[in-house]
Order: sequence, then structure tokens, then C-alpha cells
Amino acid sequence: MLMRIAYPLLFVLLSVGLPVRAEPLAVIIATANPLNSLTADALKLIYQRKSQMDAEGNRWIPLNLPLPDPLRRGFSLAVFSMLPEEQEDYWNIQYFNGITPPKVMASEEAIVRFVASTTGSIGYVRKQKVDNRVKVLLFITPPTEK
Amino acid sequence: MRVFLFLLMTALSMASRLAGAADDADSSYRLGNGYPVSDSGFRIGGYATAQVGARHAAPKHFEISDLSLFLTWDNGSRLRFFSELEVGDALSASEQQSLGIQDAHFEFERGYFDALVNNNLTVRVGKFLTPVGQWNVIHAAPLVWTSSRPVVTENLFSTHVSGLMLHGSVSLAERQLEYSVYGDASDSIDPHRSKEPFENAIGAHLRYFLDDTLQLGVSFAHFALNEPLPVRYYLSGLDVAWVYRKFELSSEIVYRAGDHAFSENNWQGFVQGVLPVPMSQHWFAVGRYEFFEQTLAQTGQVGLLGLAYRPLPPLIWKLEYQLGTHNELLAPDGVSASFAVLF
Repeated sequence: MLMRIAYPLLFVLLSVGLPVRAEPLAVIIATANPLNSLTADALKLIYQRKSQMDAEGNRWIPLNLPLPDPLRRGFSLAVFSMLPEEQEDYWNIQYFNGITPPKVMASEEAIVRFVASTTGSIGYVRKQKVDNRVKVLLFITPPTEK
Repeated sequence: MRVFLFLLMTALSMASRLAGAADDADSSYRLGNGYPVSDSGFRIGGYATAQVGARHAAPKHFEISDLSLFLTWDNGSRLRFFSELEVGDALSASEQQSLGIQDAHFEFERGYFDALVNNNLTVRVGKFLTPVGQWNVIHAAPLVWTSSRPVVTENLFSTHVSGLMLHGSVSLAERQLEYSVYGDASDSIDPHRSKEPFENAIGAHLRYFLDDTLQLGVSFAHFALNEPLPVRYYLSGLDVAWVYRKFELSSEIVYRAGDHAFSENNWQGFVQGVLPVPMSQHWFAVGRYEFFEQTLAQTGQVGLLGLAYRPLPPLIWKLEYQLGTHNELLAPDGVSASFAVLF
């Protein structure tokens, strides 16, 4: 009886204490977009809104998940080496110059739907959320948040 | 007027709620991000500053020194618009003057269209901040660490350009080089003249990102100011900023030379450091040294020590004391405190 309680409890305690291995994120665009790959540096510029147009002349519309979402935090660490809240000074300065941060979508499914239907939009979701409505430009592996 | 404002806010609020699609988590208001008006592409925001000061040989004073309203339009096309209208000294009081709106004045700070030509080039037309150094282009009180601005960031040139600017960025040695090249014709086209405006000007600013923490800039300008003497000035400047986590070190130096026999050549500059107060997430210590050669006076020097409290990125409280020599006119000794919010 004691073991029945002790083993699950030990498992839970160890699980909480150990870092969770981050899942790779797929950076996606619409299937119809002729772009087939993207470098991590180019992705960074798009999400900083410094790169504003794709090769076809369409405006980039980068998409984010909400601030507390673990995928958003992982993406931010992987691409900018900093958490979203550490980028707020940057976005305050951009706002003063009329440039707003990437659009925030409520869920991964919302990102897939928006990317599939909106020219120039780009987002990130877990690999298993990718379907034939979108295509993957690159995979990024978020570091573990400390 | 009150009825009009009430109706406007109600309409904006309803439009925003109607547009709040379930997928879009972006449609609500967040402090420091402005207010998106539905899916129209319009966004309304701004910033406000309240300041108290006790400067040497001047009456103690209080003022709502800036009340700025931003209007942005960006619907995802190649064209976007930005404007900033400001009420300066909206409310003020001093030892010699009771609280009131006697000093209030309207300023057309900025208003321009940006046309995106390609990923490396944008054409800007209208009135915008002069890209000399870094401070002038981000001078809003919620974005800087001190209530007072260094003399070099506004004394030797006009802070605004009315005209045309080509700007953008290119990759150079795997790093970003941002450029701005502008031409000013303030004398012909600026309907609300700035303080000490250009008569006309041409200039450029380059900023190179050496890595994610360090950037280096150079400025050049050739201009005439709207002043009685027909002088043309040549300006060159250097600016550097290093930001690592919550530590900052920045500096700007400008040299201006005139082509008239009576004009003086001036060097001005500052170095500023910011460091987080140990054991605190939101308190910062600020130190600054500046020097400024000036017409009809010896070179001024000022040292500043300050403290800033930033509970949230769009909010900042500041307290500072500055002391110097030959600084009575441009940066007098004294204490000042302020509160600023980006909304």
C-alpha cells in the first residue's frame, strides 16, 4: 500500500524537479508561398520587424503566441536569447516610432489558420500541429528556460 | 468637447469589441502598446510626463511637461502613417505663478508617411526627428533614464526635419547596418515651426550593430538654421550604446563648425551609465558626465546622479541631481523629479 503511494509521489517530485525537454518548433508559412527555407538570422529580423517584406514584395506578418505561453517563451529564447518580457524596452522604442510588435494569436491552431489564409504571415507551432495547409521553413529547438 | 470625446471613446471601444475575433489575442488595450481601433490599421497611443524641479536661480516649478498623442495607421500595405501631436506644459505652476494652463502650447511634433520600396529601402515624407545620435530619435520621457536631456542632443542642430528621408537596413559582414539619408526644407513646408528649426539641411546617420549588445553610429549634416546670421554649419557625430541585460553604457559626441567668420566651432558630448540597484528588479542608478562648448561662454561641464524606479516597462519615476560649471544657461544645477508613462 505504501509503495503504491510512494512510487507515483516520487515520480511526480522528480518530474517537477527535472527540466522538461523542449520540443522543436516548426516555423511555418502558407503552402502557396514560394519561399522554401529561411535562416535563423532572417527569422530574427522578421520578428524584430526590421525585415518588413518577403521576396515577393508582400509585407511580413509575424505571429506570436500569448506572453505566458511556454512555446512563446521557448521561441523567444531560441531566436533572441532572451525572454519576451526582456524585449519590452525594445518594443517601447519601436512603438514610439510607430512600429508595433508581432500580432498575438490565441492558440497554435489560430496561427495555422491565419498563416494558411493570409499572404505574408509567418508563425511557429509544434511539429505535430503542422498539416497540409502550411509548410515548414525551418525547425528551431528552444533551450530550456532556467 | 466633452460630449465629443465621450462619443469618440465609446465608438472606439465598441469597434474594438466587435473586432475581437476569438483567434486574435491582440485586440485589447495594453499599457505601452496603444489602442488598436478594430482591424482598421489605426492605433492611438501616446505618453505623458509630470515633472517638478528646483533649479539654481530659478523658481521651483511643477508641470505636466508633455502630453503627446500618437496616431498610427498601418494596414499591412506598403504605406503607413505616423503622427505625434503634443500639448507642451499643459498644466504648470511655480513659486511665482499659480497652477494653470497659462504656458500650455500646441506642437506638431511629427507627421509622416513611410512608403516601403523593398526590404532594404523605405521612403519617408513629412516631419520627423533628426537622426543625429540616438537620444533625439527616442527622446520621449518614458524611454530615457533622466528628466533632463544632455545638451549635445539638442543644442547644435534642429531636433526636427521636414522633408524627405530614405532609410532602411542592409547586411554588412553578417551584421545589420541601418542608414538614414535626409533632406530638409523646413523653411518652405513646416506649418508649425519647431524650436530653432533648420532653414534647410542634408544629412545622414549610419548605425552598425557589432553584436546583439553593442551598436555604433555616425552622423553627418550640412545645414543652415533659421537665424539672422547667414551661416552654414557642418556637423559630424559619433554615438555608441552598449546594453547587456540591465546594464547600459552610452555616449554621444558632436562637433559643429560654421562657415562664417563670426561663427564658433563647438564640441559637445556626454557619457552615461545605468546599472540595476543590487537586490532589486526595478530600481536603477544613473550617472552622467557631459561637456559642452558654447557661444559667448566657457565650456560647460555637468555631472548628474540619479535614481530611476521602473515598476513596469512603460512607467518610470526619476529623481536626479546635477551640478556643474559654466552651465547656468543650458543645464543649471539643481534637483528634478518626474513621472512618465507610455500609454
